[in-house]
Amino acid sequence: MNYIKVENLTFYYGDEPVLEDVSYHVDAGEFVILTGENGAAKSTLIKNTLGLLKPAAGKATIATHNIDGKPLSIGYIPQQISSYNAGFPSTVLELVESGRFPRNRWFKPLTKKDHDHVKKALLAVNMWDMRQKKIGELSGGQKQRISLARVFATDPDLFILDEPTTGMDETSRGDFYKLLRHNAHDHDKGILMITHDHEDIKQYADRHIRLIRKEDSQWRCFHMSS
Amino acid sequence: MAMFSYEFMIRALIASCFMAVIAPLLGVFLVIRRQSLLADTLSHVSLAGVALGFLVNINPTVTTLLVVIAAAFILEYLRTIYSTYSEISTAILMSGGLALALVLMKFNQGSKGMKINEYLFGSIVTINRDQVIILGLMMVFLVLLYILFRRPMYVLTFDEDTAHVDGLPVKLMSILFNVLTGTAITIMIPIAGALLISAIMVLPAAISMRLGKGFNQVILISVGVGLLGMTSGLVASYQLDTPAGATITLIFIGIFLLIGIGKGLKSRYAKKLK
Repeated sequence: MNYIKVENLTFYYGDEPVLEDVSYHVDAGEFVILTGENGAAKSTLIKNTLGLLKPAAGKATIATHNIDGKPLSIGYIPQQISSYNAGFPSTVLELVESGRFPRNRWFKPLTKKDHDHVKKALLAVNMWDMRQKKIGELSGGQKQRISLARVFATDPDLFILDEPTTGMDETSRGDFYKLLRHNAHDHDKGILMITHDHEDIKQYADRHIRLIRKEDSQWRCFHMSS
Repeated sequence: MAMFSYEFMIRALIASCFMAVIAPLLGVFLVIRRQSLLADTLSHVSLAGVALGFLVNINPTVTTLLVVIAAAFILEYLRTIYSTYSEISTAILMSGGLALALVLMKFNQGSKGMKINEYLFGSIVTINRDQVIILGLMMVFLVLLYILFRRPMYVLTFDEDTAHVDGLPVKLMSILFNVLTGTAITIMIPIAGALLISAIMVLPAAISMRLGKGFNQVILISVGVGLLGMTSGLVASYQLDTPAGATITLIFIGIFLLIGIGKGLKSRYAKKLK
């Protein structure tokens, strides 16, 4: 079952085409990685897929229901999460709890099960002891971990992760990839992840999508005869 | 106290308490969404509404409301165009609103000048019973909205992309929030004055963000600071015979400075202990 289906998608920044005729899909139970050079518009493709940007042509569809027929939930981690709203007045716990809201909790009190999910998610990223800290006081790496915890707390059907392992050491990265693979294969989650780390990850991912820039190189000669 | 033997002072005190809840409740969201100048902008735009009302001889509150709602839509449109420079949209509207107000006032010279002054500086002590009731209803409405929508607003304020992915109607919520802010400003302008509305909305929020840890805590502290500043400002203005709005603003700035100094001393002391 397709959780993501993108067909012949084209996107322009101004007059500049940055994505041309791109098609791909991600299925339930599949761990897919998306790679490409800097400037290959990987994040732009993800934003088009999520409806955050409007394509000039083509279509991006995300399933409305999961394989059990329940409304599909998405966990998204944008790039450079550490720079988000640094002054936002919230504790770590409040932020991670908000991951449960899309699970039909916008207007209902959180249940014991919700609180258990939140605790488990915070323990998984080793941030439970820091749950009463203000998020503005956290380091970049800690912010990255709590954004992962928020996604884990949602327990989404579809993970869309934009370079979530930046700054992680090799061991943590390996464990993280194992966890994603486990979620895809044993819990039928769909996972799409942008990464630069395609050598390490090869043994874990089911499929590899590579975006290719049209130009040979992003570097241009700057020499001028004086 | 002798001041409360006057009925107008009691009305002013009740109105102050209502505004002390209304203004920070919206102000916290404005500050976090980096729209601190929105209140100021809509106040300036509302002056154009007041001038329009006097010009076409319609109740200025009605024309102000219409103009402010239109401005809220334009503001959201400009904010999406200049997404990384949201202050540009406020700057464009603020100057545009004030320019329009001045031009309309030129067409409307004469006896109405005094009334425009009331809208510029406000006069809380001349508040009538109907205005107090409208403020009270607005406060109850806002508190109910906050209780009902605090979770969607939390996520929207945290990050709009996350809110979109979580399934929230981001654009609609942003426009409705701007319209609500505009409506509250329209109601408060004749009382607080266009020039001081922004301070009353932003300063309690700015103070509470330095004091509170969690989101709900910040909201509660901002209402507490709002109540403290509004009531003490009103009493001080009566005792000192100074303009109420200006006195309230100066008290908020005083609290802001005290908190800043206190926080600075506390962190210096904590460093010494280490």
